[in-house]
Amino acid sequence: MVKHATDGWERRDFLGGAALLALLIGIPVAAIKLDDLPADEAPTDRQRLLMSHVAQLVIPRTETPGAGDVGAGDFVLLALAHGLSGSSDPITPETLPGLSGHLRHDGSLRHADWLESDLDRRSNGNFLRKGIDQAKILGGLDAEAYADGMDKHPWRTIKTLILTGYYTSQAGGSQELRYEPVPGRWEPDLPVTPDTRAISNDWTAVDFG
Amino acid sequence: MDFDAIVVGSGITGGWAAKELTEAGLKVLMIERGREIRHQQDYDTEMKAPWEMPFRGIGDTEMYLKQHPVQMLNRHFTEYTEKHFVNDAENPYSTAPGTDFTWFRSYQLGGRSLTWGRQSYRWSDYDFGANARDGHGTDWPIRYADLAPWYDKVEEFIGVSGQSEGLKQLPDGKFQPGMALNAVEQHVRSAILERWPERCLTIGRTANMTQAKPDEGRAACQYRSICARGCSFGAYFSTQSSTLPAAKKTGRLTVITDAVVEGLDFDPATRRVTAVRYSDTKTKQTHRATSRIVFLNAGAFNSVHVLLNSASEAAPNGLANSSGVLGTHIMDHANTLSALALMPGFEKHTSFGNRPTGVVLARYRNMDALDGVGHSRGFSFQGGAFQSTWTAGRRDAGIGEAYKEKLRHPGMWRMVLVGFADCLPRATNRLTLDRSRLDANGLPTLKVQFAFGKEEGAALAQAKAEATEMLTAAGGVVIAGGDQPGAGGTAIHEMGGARMGHDPATSVLNKWSQAHDVANLFVTDGAQMSSTACQNPSLTYMALTARACDAAVSMLRENRI
Repeated sequence: MVKHATDGWERRDFLGGAALLALLIGIPVAAIKLDDLPADEAPTDRQRLLMSHVAQLVIPRTETPGAGDVGAGDFVLLALAHGLSGSSDPITPETLPGLSGHLRHDGSLRHADWLESDLDRRSNGNFLRKGIDQAKILGGLDAEAYADGMDKHPWRTIKTLILTGYYTSQAGGSQELRYEPVPGRWEPDLPVTPDTRAISNDWTAVDFG
Repeated sequence: MDFDAIVVGSGITGGWAAKELTEAGLKVLMIERGREIRHQQDYDTEMKAPWEMPFRGIGDTEMYLKQHPVQMLNRHFTEYTEKHFVNDAENPYSTAPGTDFTWFRSYQLGGRSLTWGRQSYRWSDYDFGANARDGHGTDWPIRYADLAPWYDKVEEFIGVSGQSEGLKQLPDGKFQPGMALNAVEQHVRSAILERWPERCLTIGRTANMTQAKPDEGRAACQYRSICARGCSFGAYFSTQSSTLPAAKKTGRLTVITDAVVEGLDFDPATRRVTAVRYSDTKTKQTHRATSRIVFLNAGAFNSVHVLLNSASEAAPNGLANSSGVLGTHIMDHANTLSALALMPGFEKHTSFGNRPTGVVLARYRNMDALDGVGHSRGFSFQGGAFQSTWTAGRRDAGIGEAYKEKLRHPGMWRMVLVGFADCLPRATNRLTLDRSRLDANGLPTLKVQFAFGKEEGAALAQAKAEATEMLTAAGGVVIAGGDQPGAGGTAIHEMGGARMGHDPATSVLNKWSQAHDVANLFVTDGAQMSSTACQNPSLTYMALTARACDAAVSMLRENRI
């Protein structure tokens, strides 16, 4: 059983959930160093908690850990602060209501601030409040972000980073999916069965999938 | 003389020059501007899993935008490989107004042999005869028969896997067994051949070995497809895995790293290079080394840089430039994603292993008949069929268990065909030195002036239309495609600038890759190219290098230089 990583998240200098998992099962991971971020990019403790919940809602715990369990929330926050997946590109704030209040000077969006604000608004105040149907609220945001004609949406960027945080974690990459660092052979045509799992380090698929 | 020969650069051709010249008995100095990277010892990220990387293999975009704004555009540039590419901030170049050119570089022992795409194709007489036929550029002074035995030698040594197909436009070579097509590619090959018998889709001919070479310490490919990190198995050709060990084995090779060549000293009385001037990039001290012959293998643009920066009273426009064409007629393949198609019907098929090559669909236009629309040369395709994995989830709505379950399994098959078109040699596409802007070593920077023309656009337009037609005929549903070339340099096949030709008045090098003006100077990297073909050029650079080394050694022995 994997320990739920949110237990230790009160401390800013705590390693991400992936590191906690590593301690538990003894694999090396690179620490997610949020405390190296400049003050105006550092997430609040509430944002860390919220992003962890959101990650877990996207990829929940099944027989393998969920995205929140493995620290994908902290990875997303690190990635947003460093501009991964185009998250530091300037945006056009008029495309959606509620974006203009969360812009950096360079016109890029503070995604974590926006998400916190947006989910709280959808929750009439506090997305993290007990009794809130978080899955329904997040599902509503997801449906809007993927509606026909909507090709750019900040939620898509965050969701992309959640997927990255999860499927490049040890649990997501090698327990939920298969990780084959040294295949040693090329088998060009194999049958797919219901048990066939995708390979997390199929690099061509990762790049172009 | 300090040495018999000095080789400037340690990449794909520099390694070959060092190997051939040392094996011929010459005492050789190899000068490399970048740091040393030792085979099997310095591939720091080779075995790392994504969760062992601070940015999970993607890298720190914020830092890249400052330090690697050009290199980060290279598909092979990742957090794993970032140290195998230059720091753009420390190695600037400039572009002329209207020029969009991405110059991908690797300054290190082994150069771009560590990061190259490994596709290894012979050129044919359609290619060596192209300039003579349509009048663009200057005629190559060689034909396929001149190079064929050298292709044999290079392929056998570096290890090229591929499938013989009997194509006149893409001659067969000395191949190790080719890697197999996957189920979708096999189907597409058959469907295309059935309707267009002259169009051959085959597995990429790649310098990834399917058979070990134990005597050379090289194992067969392990199907990881992470080559650009460096391969301790030695399964793909790099300087480190292949030519450098061979050269070192002779006991006649000296290697200096962290030393950038500033220029060549020239004696107008003897018309010979008398010394190579280089600067220690750490101490900034300048040194001179002397040799009987010099091979420039610094990479196409940097070899031109050395020659331009070797201007003297006797050679005011740059060394070996009495013709005035030095730096001109630079080229790069025009390429773009011609077609991307969904390939339904293969949901029950998958594969195992990361095959480190795609497919190639050989040129079929403008061969014996001029049947190109608006262009007189060739285009070919590379690409392949692949299934999606977890990254496909970014396009899909959904959260929760069902979403997770969907991403657990291989996704839909898709197939891409990327068009590579011949680039015409044009005098207006050229390199000059910008002496107002110096690099970290105090050397003038290169200025690139480059644009594709209507011929490349026409070729890519035809490529798009025909790629769409072929994938549709194979049952695919084409969802995207383009007909505009990417920025110059995108194909990472920049070449030309010191072109080979018959006439000293219009070319820099003769048929032996030897400077018309300077008998003991040879330029055997991409700078020597007079046209581009539509195949990847590195194998041809290697064959030309081996051939030039043989010629140079003969000339030395006969006291002709």
